[in-house]
Amino acid sequence: MPKHDTPLLDQLESGPWPSFVSDLKRQAEKSPQCWDILGQLELSFKDRITHWKHGGIVGVFGYGGGIVGRYSDVPTQFPGVAHFHTVRLNQPSSKFYSSAKLRDICDLWEKYGSGMTNMHGSTGDLVLLGTTTANLEPLFYDLTHDLKQDLGGSGSNLRTPECCLGRARCEWGCYDTQALCHHLTMHYQDEIHRPAFPYKFKFKFSGCPNDCVAAIARSDFAVIGTWRDDIRVNQAEVKGYINGDYAPNAGAHSGRDWGKFDIKKEVLDLCPTGCMSMSGDELKIDNSECTRCMHCINVMPRALRPGKEQGATICVGAKAPILDGAQFATMTIPFIKVDPENEFEEVIEVIEKIWDWWMEAGKNRERVGETIMRLGLPTFLKVMEVEPIPQHVKEPRSNPYVFWESDEVEGGFERDVKEFRKRHAQ
Amino acid sequence: MALSLDELKAAIIDKATTAPKPQLYVKDFYACDPDAKPRAIKNAANELVKEGKMVFWSSGSTTMYAMKNRAKDEETREA
Ligand code: SF4
Ligand code: SF4
Repeated sequence: MPKHDTPLLDQLESGPWPSFVSDLKRQAEKSPQCWDILGQLELSFKDRITHWKHGGIVGVFGYGGGIVGRYSDVPTQFPGVAHFHTVRLNQPSSKFYSSAKLRDICDLWEKYGSGMTNMHGSTGDLVLLGTTTANLEPLFYDLTHDLKQDLGGSGSNLRTPECCLGRARCEWGCYDTQALCHHLTMHYQDEIHRPAFPYKFKFKFSGCPNDCVAAIARSDFAVIGTWRDDIRVNQAEVKGYINGDYAPNAGAHSGRDWGKFDIKKEVLDLCPTGCMSMSGDELKIDNSECTRCMHCINVMPRALRPGKEQGATICVGAKAPILDGAQFATMTIPFIKVDPENEFEEVIEVIEKIWDWWMEAGKNRERVGETIMRLGLPTFLKVMEVEPIPQHVKEPRSNPYVFWESDEVEGGFERDVKEFRKRHAQ
Repeated sequence: MALSLDELKAAIIDKATTAPKPQLYVKDFYACDPDAKPRAIKNAANELVKEGKMVFWSSGSTTMYAMKNRAKDEETREA
């Protein structure tokens, strides 16, 4: 495969940052089809339109996900990317690998694909970019038999569940994110590998409200660790911070001199609910007003810790901006136990309630968050059998009318329109 | 009364063969048996794919179903 002239792409190598163009050129020495990726991309820049055709019927036998068909619409010009399918691999929980495993995956991909990867895709999968239809089955065979790994989700499937590092590396994990992620991955194998829904559905698990996997912004079903009792405070360590014995934020901002630590300015005044105060040199927290934002804990990790009664909040319905703009997930279940002892039965019950409703009420290509927007949060809360609480309300109501359901009104809304008009005509 | 699995599969094939559009969403098959749960319909459609009678067509973000001979095959389709 010959090199192509790529003056527009070459400009992208001139900045001070690493360039994917340089990476592709280096990779092309080994995998010549990469010259055609560059050539086709250059043409797209010139024509101001993509030259990838959308989708296809490719896949591996028995699966309805994990392979995303991609074809060039200029295959005679760029035969190396005539087929250039994407393969999604289910990543291990929290994305821990041995270096040997990563080498094996790269070797496999150099054997059957372009050698280009995207680690990780936004759903979390290991994304392998660019192979041919003929290579899919042999790749899948080696992947599952030699590497003991599986494909992830795509299309209208449950997407590959993703979790934060959680308790494996982090003291703030309020539940075992890896255990829940792994359990649900195994429990819902059918939904991951075959289409099941009106559209995609994503699970993401964060161990605390720092939300390191951005569950609240990027998943239909976000399980975010929280606590129900009081923040644990070690007053001696609070004094340590005030005296300057420890760097705030665990030293994360130490690249510059910010002056002496000021607990009022850096913690109390930044608490979003204003629920913290000092009584002499003792820190007070009105826990009934705390929204569990993690700010104070992040600044003074030696002094403050999440409470002991731990579980998670479930937020539903985030999505990217394809239709109607981006949307955050809505807090639905304020607190739920996340219990491996009973195989996470409480969480599974919530998931299935959502699915049963959305499969019925959702339109084609409508994310669950859009279904909730269209039919209204009160309808969704009713389906979920959740009593509305003030935290479900985004802002004070601006609509002065109170809407009643027919069965909440004596006699319902049924009326004889002719009779009604007769009275009005008088 | 919900249809039996075989009746449901036959109704899905009928719909997929006669619908004006060759590629259908799973929800388009719900009308094949209004008494069946969406999950039962999805399972029946997926079984037809396993049996090789239908195929999945996926854009990567969503998935549709088609009879094998009606699916839009990107590999052979002209740009
Ligand atoms: S989300 Fe919380 S528990 Fe998970 S890694 Fe981040 S800080 Fe730690
Ligand atoms: S976690 Fe956030 S809301 Fe709660 S006390 Fe700390 S700063 Fe305030």
